[in-house]
Amino acid sequence: MSEVQKPSGAKTLAGIVIGAALMFVGMYLSVKQNDFSFLHWQHSLAEQGIPIDLGKTISIFGVFLILFPVIRLFFIQPLSDAITERTNALESTFGEAEDLRHEMTKMKSDYEQRLAATEAEARAQIQAQIKEAQDLRQSLMSEATAKADEMVKKAQQEIEAEKQKVLGQLRTEVVTLTLSATEKILGENMDSDKNRKLIAEFIDKVEVPG
Amino acid sequence: MVDTKVARRYASALFATAQKNDVVKSVEDDLSAIANLFQNDAKFKDFILSPRVGREEKIKIAEKLFSDRVTALTMQALRLMLVKRRESEVVSVHDEFVALRREFGSIAYVMVSSSEALEPDQKSAIIAKLEQKTGKKVEADFQIDPHLIGGVKVQIGDYVLDGTVRGSLRRLGEKLRRDVLKQN
Repeated sequence: MSEVQKPSGAKTLAGIVIGAALMFVGMYLSVKQNDFSFLHWQHSLAEQGIPIDLGKTISIFGVFLILFPVIRLFFIQPLSDAITERTNALESTFGEAEDLRHEMTKMKSDYEQRLAATEAEARAQIQAQIKEAQDLRQSLMSEATAKADEMVKKAQQEIEAEKQKVLGQLRTEVVTLTLSATEKILGENMDSDKNRKLIAEFIDKVEVPG
Repeated sequence: MVDTKVARRYASALFATAQKNDVVKSVEDDLSAIANLFQNDAKFKDFILSPRVGREEKIKIAEKLFSDRVTALTMQALRLMLVKRRESEVVSVHDEFVALRREFGSIAYVMVSSSEALEPDQKSAIIAKLEQKTGKKVEADFQIDPHLIGGVKVQIGDYVLDGTVRGSLRRLGEKLRRDVLKQN
């Protein structure tokens, strides 16, 4: 909206002065119309039923010339200012609203982008967690299986070792018992002749280490 | 407390002197008698080793007991040991003296164990065989150990020649146990 152009001070003052001059000149011509011959046509027209007073008309023009600046100063100008101010306020508001709209649009776009990125990241993380959980499950299962196998193997080895140990102890015990029995039998059956024979064999075969 | 080095020193000096005077056998017999008395007579041993009995009294009693029974050299050595308070070394000195005599005479000492007493001919045969095998003169002590069941065992220094039934059974047992362990 275009702003009402303000008249300059000189033009206003010139208008007032001209208006005042026209008002006084018109009043003077109206009062002294009979003194001026160039105004006799007014009488002719008045007689014909058309009363025209040139002096008053000029005065009225003068009054208008004086009143226009006043009206413009006290009514038109404040109204124009108010309209302009209102217009500016509205433009500013519209501008701000437009800026806000742009900003909101941008924020919405950013938000949507961030949301999409977050969703993608969340999906990736979920997938990664699922994969990690699957790997962990697989690893735990493998570990548990290996441990169980190892425990079974160890238990079998221990059983075998214990079995061998018991067998060894049994054999050793059998050896000890057999030797004890043999010793007892030999002791009971040993006599001087056999002893002499043994000693003779020892003497015959003995070797002294160098 | 017995000090082997001290006993060895006394024995060496005594053996050298005895050898020089050609009384090794007599001195050894004297020492054996004294050592036997020391080991078998507790009263004599307690008297000799008692710290409450003075040196002079010990020497006096020893001279009274042994002066007319042992050689002068043995008596002198015994007196010296009593003076130097080495009376506890008497048995060790005897052992070291015997060892020196065997070492000097190239004599091998053997310990023969059997389950019953050996006949003289068996003893002679064993000694003759050992002398033949070692190339040395052999001195043997014979002892009876019924646990050996039968046969004979000879110990020469660090070597043991085991011909006893018990030894055979022990070796058989060890072999069988080794085989059992190998099977495991």
